[in-house]
Amino acid sequence: MDNMQIMKGKMLRAGYICDDKVATVLYLAGAMKKPVLVEGPAGVGKTAIAQAFSQVTQLPLIRLQCYEGLDEAKALYEWNYKRQLLHIQAVANKNLSVQQVEEDIFSDNFLLTRPLLKSITSDSPTVLLIDEIDKVDFEFEAMLLELLSEFQITIPEIGTVRAQHQPFVFLTSNATRELSEALKRRCLYLYLDFPSKEMEKQILMLKIPNLPPSLAEKVAQVVRQLRGLELKKPPSIAESIDWAASLLWLGKEDLDVETTLQTLTTVVKYREDQEKLERIIYRDRDLNFRA
Amino acid sequence: MPVLQYLQAFFADLREQEIPVSTSQVRDCCQALLLIDWANRDYFYSTLFTTLVKDYSYQKAFDEVFERFFNEYLSPENRQYFQSVNSEQPSRSREVTAVSDYDIGMGTPMGKGGTAQAPGGKKNPLQQDFGRISAEELTSIEAMVPLLARRLAAKFVKKRKRNDQNRLDFRRTIRSSLSTGGIPLNLYTVRKYREKPVILILCDVSGSVMNFSCISLALIASLERFFQYIESYAFIDEVSDITGLLLSGNPLNFRGHVLRNARVVGVTGYTNYGRTLEQFHQRFRHRITRKTSVLIFGDARNNWQENGKWVLAQIKSQAKKVYWFNPEPVSQWNTGDSIINDYMPYCDKVFACPNLVELEKSLAKI
Repeated sequence: MDNMQIMKGKMLRAGYICDDKVATVLYLAGAMKKPVLVEGPAGVGKTAIAQAFSQVTQLPLIRLQCYEGLDEAKALYEWNYKRQLLHIQAVANKNLSVQQVEEDIFSDNFLLTRPLLKSITSDSPTVLLIDEIDKVDFEFEAMLLELLSEFQITIPEIGTVRAQHQPFVFLTSNATRELSEALKRRCLYLYLDFPSKEMEKQILMLKIPNLPPSLAEKVAQVVRQLRGLELKKPPSIAESIDWAASLLWLGKEDLDVETTLQTLTTVVKYREDQEKLERIIYRDRDLNFRA
Repeated sequence: MPVLQYLQAFFADLREQEIPVSTSQVRDCCQALLLIDWANRDYFYSTLFTTLVKDYSYQKAFDEVFERFFNEYLSPENRQYFQSVNSEQPSRSREVTAVSDYDIGMGTPMGKGGTAQAPGGKKNPLQQDFGRISAEELTSIEAMVPLLARRLAAKFVKKRKRNDQNRLDFRRTIRSSLSTGGIPLNLYTVRKYREKPVILILCDVSGSVMNFSCISLALIASLERFFQYIESYAFIDEVSDITGLLLSGNPLNFRGHVLRNARVVGVTGYTNYGRTLEQFHQRFRHRITRKTSVLIFGDARNNWQENGKWVLAQIKSQAKKVYWFNPEPVSQWNTGDSIINDYMPYCDKVFACPNLVELEKSLAKI
């Protein structure tokens, strides 16, 4: 058993099936203490990989969900100015020196730690997941760059906070925009694609323990076909798991045309996609989805 | 060949394929190689890939080089060699460190300049000229189009949001502060409402711009999915509304699809910008308002016919903006039957977009 096999086994126990390539990257990330940039289409398990990794390492997961307009106040730290104002009001007639009040209101008590600061100041190492990094502005990305290379944050009123334990960092991206070269260079790169039919079958059987192998195989096969079509949103792994689970709930042993039509809504979520698939199924009366 | 030189040659080859491999990446790679078992091909490949390649579009180029260098990698003698290196940890580590030092010392080029590159030597399909690509490469480029559309859409949305810098809604802030004894705990800002722009796209689908129009149509179709207010028209010497046609179907076949289902060929079948513009203005004039941006995709090769620039002047006076995207490099403008100069005064900007990278840059600028 080498390190990669051990990593694979651990990830499997955390509910994540990965191949040798993914295991290698994860192992290297752990050994080299480098951030991992995970790219790939929506729904291939980019976020899940960090969650599983935090389970494997038994470290707390701190998640920063990125969105447009995310700024340092939401990601790093913020002064709790409402409390500061109330504090000033409360001590207004207590004859304190201005300096004293200032020291009070800029102390840790009034500091709201946001995910990035939290992951740095934590007593134990953490797994930091920065989700959908491509959604933030360039300015924020530049700030992140500093954080990821130095693992320290400067707060003007307090000083520089240095990480006691370097966190394991995962960044995910849907490639809605090009990330900066500098950021990419700092990270190990991992591209996740949709799994092979065989692997998806394994995933289904892992996630739904009493799923019959024949049904798992059939679902994996049909979902794979669906992903080959030009759909607005190809089904993700989570959706294929949902689908298989709903089939099991309905007591279906096999996936046939009728069942597919009935349960199509669990696997494709857009009206246009559903209509398109229904058209193809009604035309062919089978599940081969020829173009 | 010793490992040192072999790896060195491998990195050099990657750079030759225009994969940007920096010195720090080389260092990471060497460091990572010390941590894994070289005898396992998957580990080995994955280690090199994850440290050296940071963009999925380079995978194909990387795989080619990797195959070339490490295909015979599992042959018995090589394996033995690697294993022997494997067992002598200290010496191997010294050797590998030497590689990265060597790399730093060399100050190797990053493969970015690329001016002396032979044509067609570029492995990133996005940078290839539309005029020169083969059908096969076209497919691979087209596969990137949805991604590009998504990137553009994100950029447009962001631009709009950034411009919505709101000023303080003083009245509302003070009003709510009354309930907290005059302390403004919550700040309110004025919301701005902006009109959504309408975009009209005119796309030349004639033979002279075949590759470009294939890509443009795929791109327009992808953009239509993000913006509800895009209307698209195709033409050769007749103009036809194709907004609905692009809503479904395989992007690869859009051009054929349009040619079959839309009336874009008129009497002659040769591209006629004058006639197209005139017709467009006649039939769809009511669609052009002060909110409308008109985008024209074409090479302005008019087969020596009437240019109809007065119509474009009218369109310009009616619309908010008029942009022209020309697939030819600037050096070819106004040569032969290209009459882009005639139209230039009536466009807010004319872009040269010989490849997809340029096209994306140009679109991002508007």
